[in-house]
Amino acid sequence: MTAQTIRTVGLRAGSIVALLVLWWLAARLMHDPEALPGPIVIGNTIAEDLVKPGPQGESAFLHIGITLARIFIAFAASMLLGTGIGLAMGLSRIVERALLVVIPLLLTIPTILMVFLAVMWFGYSEAGGLIAVMAVVTPYVAVNIFEGTRAMDKSLIEMGVTFKARRPLLIRKVYLPQLMPYIFSAFRYAFGVTWKIVALAETFGLKYGIGYMFFFWFGQFNMDQVLAWIIMFVALMLILEHGVFARLESRAFAWRHSLAR
Amino acid sequence: MKRVGAGLLPSLLTLLVCLLLWKAVSLFFPPVILPGPLALLERMIEIYSDPASYVIVGETLLRIFEGFVISMLLGTLLGLSMGLKHDIELFFDSWVMVLLTVPSVCWAFLSVLWFGISEVAPVLTIVLIVFPFVVMNVWEGTKAMEKSLIEMSHVYRADRALMLRKVLIPQLMPYIFSSLRIALSLSWKIALVAEAFGAGSGVGQELINWFQDIRVDMMLAWGASFMIVMVAVDLLIFRLWARRVFAWRPQFAT
Amino acid sequence: MAHVMLRKTARTDTASAPTAVIIDKLSKKFTVPGGGITFTVIESVSLTVGEGQFVSIVGPSGCGKSTLLNIIAGIESYDGGSVTVAPRAGTASHEPRVAYVFQSPRLLNWLTVQGNIEFVLEAQGVPREQWQPRVTKYLQMVGLGGQEKNYPLNLSGGMQQRVAIARALAIEPDILLMDEPFSHLDAITARKLRFDLMEILGRAKPTILFVTHDLAEAVFLSDHIYMMNTRPARIFKEVEVDIPRPRKPEDSVILDLEKSLVREFFSVLEGKT
Repeated sequence: MTAQTIRTVGLRAGSIVALLVLWWLAARLMHDPEALPGPIVIGNTIAEDLVKPGPQGESAFLHIGITLARIFIAFAASMLLGTGIGLAMGLSRIVERALLVVIPLLLTIPTILMVFLAVMWFGYSEAGGLIAVMAVVTPYVAVNIFEGTRAMDKSLIEMGVTFKARRPLLIRKVYLPQLMPYIFSAFRYAFGVTWKIVALAETFGLKYGIGYMFFFWFGQFNMDQVLAWIIMFVALMLILEHGVFARLESRAFAWRHSLAR
Repeated sequence: MKRVGAGLLPSLLTLLVCLLLWKAVSLFFPPVILPGPLALLERMIEIYSDPASYVIVGETLLRIFEGFVISMLLGTLLGLSMGLKHDIELFFDSWVMVLLTVPSVCWAFLSVLWFGISEVAPVLTIVLIVFPFVVMNVWEGTKAMEKSLIEMSHVYRADRALMLRKVLIPQLMPYIFSSLRIALSLSWKIALVAEAFGAGSGVGQELINWFQDIRVDMMLAWGASFMIVMVAVDLLIFRLWARRVFAWRPQFAT
Repeated sequence: MAHVMLRKTARTDTASAPTAVIIDKLSKKFTVPGGGITFTVIESVSLTVGEGQFVSIVGPSGCGKSTLLNIIAGIESYDGGSVTVAPRAGTASHEPRVAYVFQSPRLLNWLTVQGNIEFVLEAQGVPREQWQPRVTKYLQMVGLGGQEKNYPLNLSGGMQQRVAIARALAIEPDILLMDEPFSHLDAITARKLRFDLMEILGRAKPTILFVTHDLAEAVFLSDHIYMMNTRPARIFKEVEVDIPRPRKPEDSVILDLEKSLVREFFSVLEGKT
């Protein structure tokens, strides 16, 4: 245990403690005790939720599971489509010119408008939610990947061509590895946006899911539960973001010569 | 200059094709569900012939401005400190991480629950979402700065203030600039969500009202016109300003 | 715009020394886009490279020499004349194999050293069973035996360039093109690599077309030198280097030849075309 490590752990722990203390203070200071329940109350509520059945007799894990499923499907679809489009734009000038107009347009449309439109046109269904997410995330991923193709090292492609490498081999061994940083940064953003849109869509009336529960309790003016569900949601996303993605990222970039990141 | 024209053609073509497709599809639906381009234009004209609409847009713009400015100031401050002092970084990074993770709709609800339907709620929502984003950006930018240039300034005994002015800030400008731009565009969109859930007025409120009335044409009219304003501001402020900020770069990348 | 003619059949002539590359009155023009100005990059260049020979093209740094190599490698086109590359004598008829060592190593940093060599073997359609033996053999030949699993960024500049050379040799090329491969290395490393290249010449007996601006380097390494002026690229003299190998850079024979060539060069460059 070096002094450096102790300091790091100390500061991190200190910050979490400070957060909880601030929360607790704010809760006490609020003139309306109902408005901001303290950390202890919420802690209990979360524990209860996880163990006991919910208002309609279902388990909390059902909601969590459904939200996760929606997030992963929407995210995977957007990443795949976005990467494919970005790559196509990088490889073909025609595709680039054609899409370069459409994409910024899609990116400008406010998210809430997208969700409203998707719900209006596709109903309160899984399809509506999926389309809302894809309409927002896919263009972003495509642009990112496209930027990546433009930043690629042309001399390496040239080298591959002199050795008569064909396009599939070039894409596998020369294009994609150079695109990895861009794919990853698009990954992180896409994931972040995806769950926020899923939350929004669930709030609007998809059945089941964390957003649905959140809205349900909001309708009941039950602040304890509202906060409890928000925290569960945030905790879940943080675990995924940092536990899973951080690991994936460091493994994918093992070849980098000790770049501090 | 001729080449610019040649490049424009496929884009214009795509635009034209999209417009025609839109018109074609809209023929199958009543205008309240899927308006065609002309119907949309008519609605927009209706809206903006009414002076009350300008008040509504004005309110939204004001909230955006307030939220954005507060986020930029606080965010840049914290981001700089985190980038420069490792201790501050360690302390605050978990807070920032958490803030970034909470969905905007949650903050919108919470703000309303705490502050009721008021001016504070939407601005607070904007700040809570945009501020951590600015922090992240400036923080990363600060960390990415060239150590070698800072070392060089130390060797020549440049004091803190001089170093800040001539070495740190110029390097930071591209980051601050791009985060400004994205922060503003985030603020636009969050403002709409925040207003939809609890401002009582503003463009966001209009959107949700028309949504509940099942009037896609009105919803789109408000939405599209708002987007036009957003794009206009982005072009005006950022294209013009970008020239000065990036003058020292050999290439003029957007 | 013509492209390189690749002679596909194995050679039958054994009477004279077999040639690997014949370039006949090659020319290339370049038109500035939008401006309409055309200037000649390569003007009627003719040269031959015999099999197993080390032939250098020496000239001041400029576009012409590298362009010539790019044309032979098939990544640039030309306007007049012809380029013929013939498969090595004794090999079955195949699409002529051209290997290229660039000024910078141009390695794929995310692949191991082994991965980098396998990349070109795959590109060339070499059967998988031959991959491991070739990787081992040629890495040893360049003095990097055992480095298979290492990553390029962990290697020094000189070692990276050795990998590039091993990669080129691994495809067992009919012609190995080298574009000032040592010019980006420090003098000491470059010198070491030159020596090692000379040794490799003895063992693998590749056919090499080597481009450089360094006369001393050319005299040390080559069997035959073409001296070239640039803008437009033109050959103005050919020299046979008959000095037996192994050569030492300090040998007086080498220094003398170099001196006389330098004198020739300067008189040409000073405009006495």
